[in-house]
Amino acid sequence: MVDAWIDGRPAAVDAAVAEAANLLASSRLPVVAGLGTDIAGARAAIALAERVGGAVDHMHADALLRDLDVARETGMMVTTPNEAALRADTLWMVGPGLIAAWPDLAARLIARAPDPGLVVDRRIFWLCPGSKSEMPDVGGARIDTVGRDPKHLGAVLAALRARLAGRRCGRTQVADRALDALSAGLAAARFGVAVWSAADLDALTVEMLCGVVNDLNAATRFTGLPLAGGDNATGVLQVCGWMTGFPMRTGFGRGFPEHDPWRFDVRRLVESGETDCVLWISAYRPVVPNWNREVPTIALAASGSEFGRLPHVRIAVGRPGIDHDGVERIAATGALGCVEARNPTGAMSVAQVVGRIAAALADGRTWPC
Amino acid sequence: MLTRIKGGRVIDPVHGRDGIGDVWIRDARIVDAPAPDVEPDATYDAAGRIVMAGAIDIHSHIAGENVNAARLLLPDQHRATTASPPAAPLSHAVSSTFETGCRYAIMGFTTVVEPAISPHAALQAQLELADIPIIDKAILAILGNDDFLLGLIRSGEGAAAVSDYVAWTMESTRALGIKVINAGGAAAFKANARAFAFDDVVPFYGASSRDIVRTLQRGVHAAGVPHPLHVHCNNLGLPGNVETALATIAAADGLPLHLAHLQFYGYGKAGPRGFSSEAARLAEAVNGASGVTVDVGQVMFGQTVTVSSDVLRQFNARRQADPRKWLIVDGDANGGGIVPYNYRPNSFHNAVQWAVGLELFLLIRDPSQVFFTTDHPNGAPFTTYPDIFALLMDRDLRAEKMSALPADAMGMTTLGSITREYSLTEIATMTRSAPARLLGLHDRGHLGVGALADVAVYADDPDRARMFRAAALVFKDGELVVRDGAVTRYRWGRALTARPERDRAIDRRMNDYYDARYGLPPELIKVRDGCIDRAGAFEFVPCRT
Repeated sequence: MVDAWIDGRPAAVDAAVAEAANLLASSRLPVVAGLGTDIAGARAAIALAERVGGAVDHMHADALLRDLDVARETGMMVTTPNEAALRADTLWMVGPGLIAAWPDLAARLIARAPDPGLVVDRRIFWLCPGSKSEMPDVGGARIDTVGRDPKHLGAVLAALRARLAGRRCGRTQVADRALDALSAGLAAARFGVAVWSAADLDALTVEMLCGVVNDLNAATRFTGLPLAGGDNATGVLQVCGWMTGFPMRTGFGRGFPEHDPWRFDVRRLVESGETDCVLWISAYRPVVPNWNREVPTIALAASGSEFGRLPHVRIAVGRPGIDHDGVERIAATGALGCVEARNPTGAMSVAQVVGRIAAALADGRTWPC
Repeated sequence: MLTRIKGGRVIDPVHGRDGIGDVWIRDARIVDAPAPDVEPDATYDAAGRIVMAGAIDIHSHIAGENVNAARLLLPDQHRATTASPPAAPLSHAVSSTFETGCRYAIMGFTTVVEPAISPHAALQAQLELADIPIIDKAILAILGNDDFLLGLIRSGEGAAAVSDYVAWTMESTRALGIKVINAGGAAAFKANARAFAFDDVVPFYGASSRDIVRTLQRGVHAAGVPHPLHVHCNNLGLPGNVETALATIAAADGLPLHLAHLQFYGYGKAGPRGFSSEAARLAEAVNGASGVTVDVGQVMFGQTVTVSSDVLRQFNARRQADPRKWLIVDGDANGGGIVPYNYRPNSFHNAVQWAVGLELFLLIRDPSQVFFTTDHPNGAPFTTYPDIFALLMDRDLRAEKMSALPADAMGMTTLGSITREYSLTEIATMTRSAPARLLGLHDRGHLGVGALADVAVYADDPDRARMFRAAALVFKDGELVVRDGAVTRYRWGRALTARPERDRAIDRRMNDYYDARYGLPPELIKVRDGCIDRAGAFEFVPCRT
């Protein structure tokens, strides 16, 4: 079995590792991107980026930073998936993309019976879900759908917020009567949870939604459950946070971590030509970059990855939780947890490959961050 | 490897030592002076310097989901984006794991306890601790707002079940002890309570805060956990809350109990602004309760961020957020809140808070009963400790600082009338020997033969803040790690954990509980050996027998 390639030709892993180390060491601004990997892989990759004076980004950074921007500009109330499932007497789904962000949404939240001691009856609303295919099959659970097209969600949420505050507001795409019923339903919640995916919303819409949630707490309890997408995106966010003090889109070029969501966006760095080397990591799924410019690339790729542009170096990595054990953010708990390999193979983990690349760097440094 | 620290003023209260002498280290332990003809492999001249054991911090929020959320929430407080205050060049409210370990080591600290970790988020906290270099660390696991414990109280199950559950939680999380935070308050907040006092009852579960604290205190004691139950009381920060703290102290009932950041409970309602210091009364109660220990949670002026698992309190505090942003989390049990805050010297309330902390330090007589903390970062960043030690050691310095604060605020406290000054021995007791004893770390906090060779050497500088800010030498496990206030060797410490005995029937019961409540196995949230990829990541601390 071949585990490594240089310019598309099979190579020994050691040779590919040495080539990757050479490329990283000779680059002006290398970027570690994709970062679809477990905690150990992310930790190793971020330490490597620090060591070579590069930057780090994640394939889901746009959505993650959109939620984070709301928290770090205004305020946000959130809960865990289990607390939402057990305690919510009102579930308020908002917008499209929820199933894509959390495939187990129906089983783990909507169709799950709450704690009978805490919740007598549960109501479920879904505001502007988009097409029918956005809504899961939930068996017997009744969902009150309000509005359809998510394009107008920002204005609809603003109108809803005005209603809840007893202020006048203009018409929206959603009928007044339907919005009145929704606002009455939300206000009647004893413990309500708004569920959204920032992948399909803009930051102002998320901010308006979080404002509605905050306002509802003047009289009752309401909180939020942002869904964060796969590829261990929030797990990597956590590692980046504790290692550098910043989320992803952080660079180390000046000898200390600097965070700038614009400057260290890997797409911008590639398409502007600022970066001359990308270390692309996608261990969970065969995701490949789709930039519109050639850049020397080292790929640590799950099997089945089909690159539009051939990476200079490619090394096969195993999937956490399938080929090897790992720690990652567990969608069902919203916390980090251990996942054991379902079908252990000898495939190398991202942490192992990055560790070998780091060992092959000839700079003699070992201190992380 | 034989090391001699030569001719320093050795201060070791456990052995009644305060005099010029040597400290000898073989590998990772303190040893007796060898025969006169034995030459050490390395000698460090400590003449004119102070030699103490490595310092131990029992309460500092340095890891876990809430701390990390604060990092992510406050890019504006990162060292890359803020100018350092000139007096404290390393003083920032939030720092990465790597910076945290280095900054502690530079001040001569070798063991630090992160006191508030939700059991379901313990794995992240342990991974963060594993990335804090040089020093040893530990977590306390939070119980008391969780459905399982509240269920045990509701159904009137005995002390044995609580003790087994405590032991199970400690093993699952690899904790060193148990903390309770606003007992019942987070659960009540989910049921729309906006205030929760010691005798209020959690809806549905029928347990009062008093019931929860007493149940856990006894459960922790019965399990043989070395550290007593660590309590964050109800009503934090509210005028008149001294009554809550006094009631909690009275409820200790002769069994060991630790009250965290007592400063935040030292408030009366007297005076024109309805906010006054009740530190003198509180200190008197602590002086009379020998089983009770406290840490202070000193406020120091400047920008910081409050990070707390007291979600009810943080929800109520979010309107005071400065800068105006916040995060409130309804967790599986406690949850928490992140609210940035700026303590201002021209604020009446903040000035009273500053004075209450110092009054508690100075009016509690036994330095082994009161611990320095700032409840980092809630009262101030841990990097302000040296300034606090200086204030405790110098009444003139206190008077000078007081003169710059609002006179009406100072008038609501007794601080101006207190002349006590801490000695270096008292500082060593409060920062070394007493914390080691409180945590059950018998080979730390002193320089006796057999002790772990965690040693800090400071210049004997009359500017005590400067002295404690940057140690001249620091040894961890006998290795030199800091010289002249700079890290010279990067190493990985251990996480300390205690593993009390339990009736294994609790394991099956917890499996059934997790299956019924969450549809998940508890293995998913457990900290297991393979999760931390480093040999010797944990050190097991013996339990009381």
